[in-house]
Amino acid sequence: MAKKSKADKGVAAGSGQGLVPPEDEFSDDMPTSESHLGVIFRERERRPAFLEMVEGPGAPCVYMLERVDMQVGRGAETEIRVDSTEVSRRHARITRAGTSHQVQDLESRNGVLLNGVRIHSASLHEGDTLQLGNVVFVYHEGQR
Amino acid sequence: MNFFVKFWGTRGSIPTPGSLTQVFGGNTPCIELRVDDALYVCDGGSGLRELGLDLLRRGKKPIVAHMFFSHAHWDHIQGFPFFVPAFLKDNSLIIYGTAPGDTKFHKLLSGQMESDYFPVAFGDLGARVAPDDLGAEGKTIEGVAVRAIAQLHHGPSYGYAFEKDGRKVVYATDNELDLELENADEAARDPDAPRRCPRRYVDFCRGAKLLIADGQYTDAEYANKRTWGHPRATTCVDLAVEAGVEQLAITHHDPLQSDDKVREKIEACRVRAQRLSGGKLQVFGAREGMELRID
Repeated sequence: MAKKSKADKGVAAGSGQGLVPPEDEFSDDMPTSESHLGVIFRERERRPAFLEMVEGPGAPCVYMLERVDMQVGRGAETEIRVDSTEVSRRHARITRAGTSHQVQDLESRNGVLLNGVRIHSASLHEGDTLQLGNVVFVYHEGQR
Repeated sequence: MNFFVKFWGTRGSIPTPGSLTQVFGGNTPCIELRVDDALYVCDGGSGLRELGLDLLRRGKKPIVAHMFFSHAHWDHIQGFPFFVPAFLKDNSLIIYGTAPGDTKFHKLLSGQMESDYFPVAFGDLGARVAPDDLGAEGKTIEGVAVRAIAQLHHGPSYGYAFEKDGRKVVYATDNELDLELENADEAARDPDAPRRCPRRYVDFCRGAKLLIADGQYTDAEYANKRTWGHPRATTCVDLAVEAGVEQLAITHHDPLQSDDKVREKIEACRVRAQRLSGGKLQVFGAREGMELRID
């Protein structure tokens, strides 16, 4: 379960290895007892939403959106830290509302483009692209 | 100056909830414009309910809303009885008519709250709900110049332009632009032909940063829905290009259109915009929850 805690912190999971399905996180030390299997199936059912970085420094990698409120930027205080000068220190906020997420531009210099359109805020849906400077994410909804 | 536009309802005709409309949304028309501290609301479809709840969450009191209606068909007024700020004292809602002394929308909003339709009477609303009008030439409201234009619809309908310090947003829904094209017959026969829009629409939209336009139908759908009061989405592209608009938001999506179908419709608009404007005009589908800053 060690990799799970990595995702809990909202840091890149599977950096440099492309999109890693969350269920793979259980492959190393798969427990075998029936009670443990129950835990696994519940975990699979509640896979959180995530951002897949497809362009930009460090791409490809995945950021799990497990916190209610997460910031994207190049500042050290952000949960999703992107090492790009085209990304503001505090560039965007991703907040969870029920089972969906919203993105909000935090007065960034280069703005937030949702599917190519500069927005101030918007709800996110499966497959949406978010561009922050030279960094491009694809949003994936969670599964419950 | 802070100038924001937010889409609270982008569906035409009737609320269309469900898994097939989650992206663009199922609520009927409602657009919020905020210019600094002033609030302007265009149309009161079911999206107005969501806006009302959000206004309460923001906590600003009292709420003063300047409200404009394209027309009073159900999908544009049905959210008003569920607009919670209307029930709270100290709030003020100003309902604008489009000509001197015009109180039509104020009367129609109250009519839909008669006891046969709704349990709370219009006169029992806690907020001050007052009529006003835009006069003959438009009116400056809290620093924003607002003008109206009559459009071709069953009724008719009205479009509105909001402008301050060179930043202009036009909301123009429920307008069957195709029937008013100067080359309507040619444009009907040949979808690729340029569509010459009436000068008065072009002038009204000229230089807008954002045009929010009724684009209910695809070209194929329109063939069977001519005279229903809505245009081909692609026709809005010609208007926007001719008027030098920067961004075109297609709205009033047909209730039969799934998210995928709306995407196809918008893609056809983008292809046309690329051909006609060389990429200067940006086209997108208005979707619920999307908020834009007008710079």
